[in-house]
Amino acid sequence: MSGWRALPPLLLAVLALAGCEGVQSALEPQGPEAARIALLAEVLFVGAGAILLLVVVLTAIAVYAPEARRRWLARHRVVVIGGILFPGVTVSVLLVYGLLLMGAGEADPGRATGAGAEGGGSGEPIRIAVVGEQWWWRVVYQEADGYRFETANEIRIPVGRTVELELTTADVIHSFWVPKLAGKLDMIPGRTNRLRLAADRPGVSRGQCAEYCGGAHALMAFEVVALSETDFAEWLELTAGPAPEPEGEQERRGRKLFLAAGCGGCHTVRGTPAAGTIGPDLTHVGGRLSLAAAILPNSPEAFASWIVDNQHIKPDNRMPPYGIFGDAEVEAIAAYLASLR
Amino acid sequence: MALPLLARLPRGRSLLAWIAATIMVLAIGGFLLASSGLYNIAASVPHIPVTRWFLHYAMQRSVSTQSLIEQYLAGQPAWRRALEVEGADRLGAAHFQGGCAFCHGAPGEPPVPVTQGMRPAPPALSEALPGWDDEELFWIVRHGFKYTGMPAWPAVERQDEVWSLVAFLRRLPGLDAEGYRTLAYGNSPPASEPAAEILEEGVPPGLASCARCHDDGLAPAVSRLVPRLAGLSRDYLATALTHYAEGRRPSGIMEPVAVALDPGEIAALADHYAGLPRAPAADAVPADPESLALGERIATRGLPEALVPACLACHGETRLAIFPSLDGQPAPYLAGQLRLWREGVRGETPQDRLMAPIAKRLTEAEVEAVATYFETRAGGAPAEGQRP
Repeated sequence: MSGWRALPPLLLAVLALAGCEGVQSALEPQGPEAARIALLAEVLFVGAGAILLLVVVLTAIAVYAPEARRRWLARHRVVVIGGILFPGVTVSVLLVYGLLLMGAGEADPGRATGAGAEGGGSGEPIRIAVVGEQWWWRVVYQEADGYRFETANEIRIPVGRTVELELTTADVIHSFWVPKLAGKLDMIPGRTNRLRLAADRPGVSRGQCAEYCGGAHALMAFEVVALSETDFAEWLELTAGPAPEPEGEQERRGRKLFLAAGCGGCHTVRGTPAAGTIGPDLTHVGGRLSLAAAILPNSPEAFASWIVDNQHIKPDNRMPPYGIFGDAEVEAIAAYLASLR
Repeated sequence: MALPLLARLPRGRSLLAWIAATIMVLAIGGFLLASSGLYNIAASVPHIPVTRWFLHYAMQRSVSTQSLIEQYLAGQPAWRRALEVEGADRLGAAHFQGGCAFCHGAPGEPPVPVTQGMRPAPPALSEALPGWDDEELFWIVRHGFKYTGMPAWPAVERQDEVWSLVAFLRRLPGLDAEGYRTLAYGNSPPASEPAAEILEEGVPPGLASCARCHDDGLAPAVSRLVPRLAGLSRDYLATALTHYAEGRRPSGIMEPVAVALDPGEIAALADHYAGLPRAPAADAVPADPESLALGERIATRGLPEALVPACLACHGETRLAIFPSLDGQPAPYLAGQLRLWREGVRGETPQDRLMAPIAKRLTEAEVEAVATYFETRAGGAPAEGQRP
């Protein structure tokens, strides 16, 4: 009977394994940093499984085996080898292996991908500053010629290039974690932590703040989009530039409302008078994969509900809810923002 | 002798039983008296002297103790600063004229006779006031009295308004009819002027109530606690009046006035004030240059490190019609509103939900600085092309 009772939890556990794949899985690495972590994890899981099996067998011997066998188990040599030598050696070997593995290729993960455009070599790393804020991510690209531009909650990188992330925080401790690309690294007030990573194939990885940072901590996610070298260059040129001019009548009305309602006090839309630095840069917000730190899909409807109802969507976030607008006004502003590609 | 008598009194448990029995007899007796209806509650029949003395005594003790408790609990009464603002007494007087003189009368203006049939009759204040100190007056005006006709302040959280009334009450005992009229009527025409004449000039109804405190295109508002209305947008003015009437923007002074207006009157008044040329601002208050510079920084650039956006992002030239221009508004009024948002007194309306989080990020020094900066700022595009 007791065996049958264990079945439902076991089934559930098997089902839970399905959660191990997808955009946020450390077990499905998308770059050399995460691949090494996944390898180390596999070694640990398999090794620990084998040792667990061994311990179970030995326990069974100790309980059920005939006396002669049990006496063998109690011999001095068996205890010294199995109880002291074996764990000591295993743990030491694992430690050395782990340190070597984690150190390997750390300086230039881009080279390790073998996927880089010009012969696997990655050249100068791409520098991106990421600032954790309650509860979103400020992303600042620093180009080789010194030009800087901002975006938010989405980091686009080229496949096969080393990316150096400068991690800082504007307020409390956050932790930057994209499981498919690298291990986690804290963002600590007063410090700049550097994280190097690379992607070996195009695709989207989801990241999340991994250190409790206040009420809406669980709603502070982001996306890392790995693009081919050419797609990335195209994206970079577009995103570094000013916002597109609104084309439709509604979008133009939306821009007028956006500026009149003071949105520019906190948000920047490059190419317009809106130059606030408190909230996310919205210059190309319509081209991002998601909104509000990767918790809403990117659609005019999501923009509209965020503008009016953001305090319910992300409680206590720093943006006040704009209940002063009528439906038509909200739609116009949402259409304008969605057009900022 | 006393001692043998004491010795005969019941002790211990039997004493308790005696006390309980006495209380029960009194309670039942009281209930029977009330049930019989023999006690006459008619206002037309005066109290017997001992009742009058007792009620009065209890009232005085209650005010004295409760005002002490309130002061103690409130700590430093920050709102008291309204008392010191120039013209606070005129604001208080104007409200007194609209809200209190009806029952209490005023110098040269007897109370409405109907109210004198109340028991207790509302006292003439020039005689009743001297017995109370400022804190007690504040408590009485703010909380009112049970079992009398004296109401609590309509927006009990607006302590600043109550203090401005206290500022007037301090002056009341020394006022004659002429002095009272100067103080209480503000910019409104004398009561003697025939109403028909005003109406002929196309002045919206209700304007006399507004003009008791507010600017009228010629003269400024009676106090720097009062906002300048001339040149504010009609959308902003109409929204504010509606919010006052609905009680969503709490004000014991504005709510009774706004409640009496129908939507047509609100629109007419908003139109009227939106079209008025701005009166020349009162002499600018000398301000500390360092504080002014801070105010200018908050207004034009904000304090990004404290998550405070620039005021002019919303209140600048390109603002929405429902956002007010702040240029030239008196500093005590602006600072007072920022404090109301900070303390959570204003927080009901969609506009409040925009301002409250920002106001809460400002320090007291920043509130003062930015309010003073806007008072000195004469920008904006005043209606009628007239620059102050």
